[in-house]
Amino acid sequence: MISTGINGIDEMLGGGIPGGSTVLYSMEPGVDGQLFMISTLISALSKGLSCLVILPHTTFDVFKHDAARKRGCTLDIFNKKIVFVDVVDRERIVKSSRSRSEAQRAWEKKVKKVCTENAVDVVFVYLDLLYEDLGLDGALAIADTAKISKETTIIVEHLNLEGRPLMNTFISHSSFDLIITIGSAVSFMPQFNYFTLLHTSWSQIPSRSVPFITAEGKVVPYIPKIVVTGPAQAGKSTFVTNASDIGFSVDRRGTTGDPTTVAMDFGWLRWKDFDITLYGTPGQQRFDSLVPTLLSHAMGVVLLIDATKPQALERARHHLQLIQDKHLPMIVAANKSDLPDTMSDSEIRKELRLRKEVPIFFISATRKADVRLVLESLVDFITQFSY
Amino acid sequence: MYNYKSGITQIDQVTGGLEAGTNFLVLAPPMSLAEELAYSLTRPLTGEYAIVLSTNDRAAEVIDAFKVMNVDKRYVGTIDAITKSSTPGITDTNRLMFVASPTDLTGIGIKFSKMIELIFDGDFSDGESGLFPPPVRFCVNSISTLLMYRKLEVLYQFLHVVTSKVKKIDGVGFYLLNNESFDEKTISLIKQLMNGVIEIKIEQNLQYFRIQGLKEVSSEWMKFSVQKGQVVIGS
Repeated sequence: MISTGINGIDEMLGGGIPGGSTVLYSMEPGVDGQLFMISTLISALSKGLSCLVILPHTTFDVFKHDAARKRGCTLDIFNKKIVFVDVVDRERIVKSSRSRSEAQRAWEKKVKKVCTENAVDVVFVYLDLLYEDLGLDGALAIADTAKISKETTIIVEHLNLEGRPLMNTFISHSSFDLIITIGSAVSFMPQFNYFTLLHTSWSQIPSRSVPFITAEGKVVPYIPKIVVTGPAQAGKSTFVTNASDIGFSVDRRGTTGDPTTVAMDFGWLRWKDFDITLYGTPGQQRFDSLVPTLLSHAMGVVLLIDATKPQALERARHHLQLIQDKHLPMIVAANKSDLPDTMSDSEIRKELRLRKEVPIFFISATRKADVRLVLESLVDFITQFSY
Repeated sequence: MYNYKSGITQIDQVTGGLEAGTNFLVLAPPMSLAEELAYSLTRPLTGEYAIVLSTNDRAAEVIDAFKVMNVDKRYVGTIDAITKSSTPGITDTNRLMFVASPTDLTGIGIKFSKMIELIFDGDFSDGESGLFPPPVRFCVNSISTLLMYRKLEVLYQFLHVVTSKVKKIDGVGFYLLNNESFDEKTISLIKQLMNGVIEIKIEQNLQYFRIQGLKEVSSEWMKFSVQKGQVVIGS
C-alpha cells in the first residue's frame, strides 16, 4: 500500500492505495487541491520508492520550489529517488514531431526509458497538456507506458474543465482504480473545499464527499458537524467535554441542583487528521425546538442514552425520530454502562425499534477512551454510510 | 445592485456605471491603447479592489501602470504568469502571486480564487477595508497570449469558469484580445462568454472605440486618448 499522505483518506480507503493502481486527482478550476498530489509524492518518496514526475507545464525547478512551499519540506533530500520529465522535454518533443502520432511515440519512448533506467515505482503525471497535445486516449496511453511492471503505481492530476461527464467516461471505461475529485462550494462568497471519493476499483466504498482545509502543509479532512443528542441527564455534556481537545458547555443549575445544558455544548478535536466539530443538544423537553436546527447540516449523530434508565427511552425515541427524519448516519451510545442494572443490547434495540445496522456502544462518558471509540466508529460510519 | 463607474462620462451619465456581474471583451489591434483603456476601466475607485492577470508584463510593470493612475496599491492584486519561469524561487504575497507560465491554467484558477478569498476575508489590503460585499474589477491581459499557449476549446472552457466566477461575486471583468491575430470563429466564440464588447480601431494615427452590449449607450465610434489613466473622449 502507498499512503496518499493524508491519513483521513487512507482511513477511508482501508489503508491507502494498493501498489499497481492508477489514481486520478481531478480538480475543479480554482480549487487549491495541488497538495493532494504533492502529499502522495512525498509519502511515496519517504517510503523509499523511486518516483518519476511528468510536468509538461513547468520546469522541475519551479515545481520543487512550489512543492517545498506548499508542503513545508524540500524535495532535495529525495534527489536520488526522484526524476523529472518537464516542459523542456515537452518543447523538444513538440518541435521535433511532425504529427500527433510522432509526438505520441516520442513521449512513450521518453517515459519508458526514464522509468526503466531509474526502476521507477510510482509515476506522477500532470495530465492537462498531454491531454491537449495527444488527446485523452493518447495522454492516458502515456500513463500506461509508464507501467513497467504490475506494481508500478500511476498518480494523475487533472484540471477538469469538462465536469461530471468526463468522470463518468473514466468510470465506465475503468480508466482509473481510484478517482478523487476536488471541488469547492462557491456561491456569492467563497465557501469551503471538499473532496469526493468518487470511485474505487478494489472496494465497495460508497461515493462520499468530505470538506477539507489545508493547514501546515497538510490536507485535513474536516467534519464540520457531529451532533450528540439524547434525553436530559444522559451525559451529553460529559461526552462532548471528554471527546474534545477544546470544549465549552452552556449550563445552568437545574431544578435538581445538577447543571443542565440550556443552549448547547460545543467541542473541537483532531482525530487521525480529521478536524471534527461537535455540538451537544440540550436534553430538556422545553428546548426541543432547538434540536432540529442543531441537527441541520450535521454529518453524523451520536444518540446518547442512560443505560440505567429504561424510563428515559421514550424521550430517546423522540430524538431518534428527528435523526431518522434527516437520514443521518447515527450511532447509539449507552452511557453509564459501568454501573449496575444496565439494559442489554436487545432491550435497547427493542424499546427504540432500532435497525440492526445501527451499532450500540456500551460506554462510560467519563472515560476518554470510550468516548473516542464512539467517535472513531462514527467517522468510519459517516465515510461509509449509504444514504 | 452595485454599478462600476467606468470613468467615461458618456457611459456613466447614461447608465450609472457598468452593472455588477458583467464581463467585457476589449477587442483591439496591436499598438493600440487597449491595455491603457483596460487598465483604466480596471482602476479601483474608493472601496473597490482590482485583480490583474498578466501574461505579458511582470507584476512590477503592472503595479507601475496603476501607480501612474494614482491608485492605492493596497487595493490592486496581480497574478503574474511571466516572472516565475525565470525566477523559480519567487514567493507569493497576498497581492502578488505567481504562476509557472501562461499554460498553467490550474495555477491561474487557484491564485484567482485565493485573491478573491483574501479580499472577502479582509486580509488583502494590509488591514484596510473597502466596501462589503467587496466590488472587484478583474482584468485579463491578455487572452491573446493564453491562446498562444492553450487550445481554443480548453481556453473557452476555462474562461467560462472565470467569467462565471466574476458574475457570481458581482465583479466586473475586462479581457483583452488582439483582433488581428485570430480568426472570426475564435473571436465570436470568446464573445459568447461576454456581456459586451469594447472595440478599438486606429485610423490615421487616431484611436477610436465603441461599446456594444450596453443598451443605453450608443455604439458609435468615439475618438479617445488616455491621459494618466483617464480616458478622454474626443481629444
